[in-house]
Amino acid sequence: MISVSNLHKTFGKVTALKGVSFNAPDGCITGLLGPNGAGKTTTLRIIYTILHPDKGTASVDGFDTVKDQLKVRKCIGALPDSHGLYPRLTARENIRYFGRLHGLRGEALEKGIDNLIRLLDMQEIAERRTEGFSSGERVKVAIARALVHNPKNVLLDEPTVGLDVMSTRAMRTFIERLREEGKCVLFSSHIMQEVSALCDYVVIISNGEVAASGTPDTLREKTGQENLEDAFVAAIGSEEGLVR
Amino acid sequence: MRSSLDRMMVVLSKEIIDNLRDKRSFLTSLITTLVTPALLLGLVVVMGKTIFKNVDESELILPVVGAENAPGLIKYLEQNGVVIEPGPDNPQEVIKNGDEDVIIVIPEGYGEDFSASRPAAVQIVMDTSRTSAMRTISKVESLVNSYGTMIGTLRLYARGVNPMILQAVAVEQIDVATPESQAMMFLNMLPFMLTIIIFSGGSYVIIDTTAGERERTSLEPLLINPANRWELVLGKYLAAIPFVTLALAVTLSAFAIGFNLIRVEEFLGVQISISWKTISSIFLICLPVVLFATGLQMIVATATRSFKEAQTYVSLISFLPALPGAFLAFLPSESELWKMMVPSYGQQLLIDQIMRGEGLAQNDIFISAIVTVVAALVLLLIAVHLYKREQIIFGTK
Repeated sequence: MISVSNLHKTFGKVTALKGVSFNAPDGCITGLLGPNGAGKTTTLRIIYTILHPDKGTASVDGFDTVKDQLKVRKCIGALPDSHGLYPRLTARENIRYFGRLHGLRGEALEKGIDNLIRLLDMQEIAERRTEGFSSGERVKVAIARALVHNPKNVLLDEPTVGLDVMSTRAMRTFIERLREEGKCVLFSSHIMQEVSALCDYVVIISNGEVAASGTPDTLREKTGQENLEDAFVAAIGSEEGLVR
Repeated sequence: MRSSLDRMMVVLSKEIIDNLRDKRSFLTSLITTLVTPALLLGLVVVMGKTIFKNVDESELILPVVGAENAPGLIKYLEQNGVVIEPGPDNPQEVIKNGDEDVIIVIPEGYGEDFSASRPAAVQIVMDTSRTSAMRTISKVESLVNSYGTMIGTLRLYARGVNPMILQAVAVEQIDVATPESQAMMFLNMLPFMLTIIIFSGGSYVIIDTTAGERERTSLEPLLINPANRWELVLGKYLAAIPFVTLALAVTLSAFAIGFNLIRVEEFLGVQISISWKTISSIFLICLPVVLFATGLQMIVATATRSFKEAQTYVSLISFLPALPGAFLAFLPSESELWKMMVPSYGQQLLIDQIMRGEGLAQNDIFISAIVTVVAALVLLLIAVHLYKREQIIFGTK
């Protein structure tokens, strides 16, 4: 369960967020939809405690992202926009490193890693050093590493960027699986199809503000548009940054 | 606290394994490390051969242009064991080319001036930039001078004047330099070179774990883990220490082995003994500097915007603290309290004293170690502060 209330954030002269609020409930996939530079990444970064809001609060499972940073980080798994791996470590070692930082050890850790390797279908690359991995393979390792402690809340910043069709499909299946497990999934995207296919709840962000939010159906009703894409354009008032 | 220690150890062991797998950097660093003792040994051998070659034993062959103009001088030189041979037509060219060490030119007017008791010109053609010719040059100079003094003295006697009145001041040179301390000039480069090693031996690890982590965009995912920033910083810091210490140990061992294998006395004419005890004292004195240097480089590598920038600045700061050591080789410095309180400079003075065979004050060792360790801790706090800033993840942009 993630709640965000009235988030403000400026970087120097640039105002990134001016009052973002929404809730992402458990067992649901919540999509942050918006053009590039709308504030999706900044919002996610505040939730996973890397940035502090100038005003407003964010909380995960009731823990404040500023006051209870360590507790928040324990109950989230996040795939940031930049998710580099350690090229001299194997895929398994990359995942193990983060598992150990979460305090996991021994058999419990190895079993968890095996499980993720199977789920993400990466048995073939598990023991290889990650140097030279394709972007699909790299995202898989990065996701496995973020979820190695089996967190209740999952944040994914543009998880399908740079992936081919097959990898994207696999990623969607994986995200749906997370919902079935009752997790709270919050992911950002600027790809309309993906959001309409996956999300139970959509938050449209534009220029650092929430332009509209609701289920895909309510959004269509509110804006009086036939499909979500038109609803999106109507909500943010332009076609800027839209990818079909 | 226990889990903090655990997480720190996780970071530490990961960084060590990760960087040990970077075999190319590891080997390059070790080889570069070995260059230092090799260079020192080479200097001693080559310089020792040229400067300390004993010219007295070989006979001195001296080309003289216009020898017929000064039969007296020539006879004097021959009496002093110099073999005179006719000089070339172009003495300056010959010296410039390095074909002869020194040539004497006696102009035609010599005899006339000599008879008239005017100063008679004798030219000594030489190239003072050639260290290997210095011995020959000074020998010829002193022979010509002593001939002049001798003639002058005789002239004064002939006029009934006591030549002693010319000597208002009697200069006596008392040279306390033992041959050993002359040879030590080369070895006194050691503090300088050791400081360079300490400040560069682990640089690749420090840069890889800080600027490198950010450049391969693995920093942000790392920071999302439930670890305090100071745990990450300390883990990375401690991971670099063994690499720096190894570089230092390898250098010192190579140095000790080299000086015990190669018979240095053959080249320098003196015995230099560098015992393993001396080497281990130097090693121990250097350890606080290892802590200090690693902290300093960590801050620089964290504050820079990219991997390349980090490499530039880190190699720059490896040179700065070593500079005083370079001067120490030529200008021995007294140890004073304030000098001991300058991290790395104090230690360079102490090593210098060890190499000169002087006793060390317990106080100096203690003070320099304490101050340096405290300075290292302050640097670590600054590094942690840098990691706590939000900007840490934006470094590359």
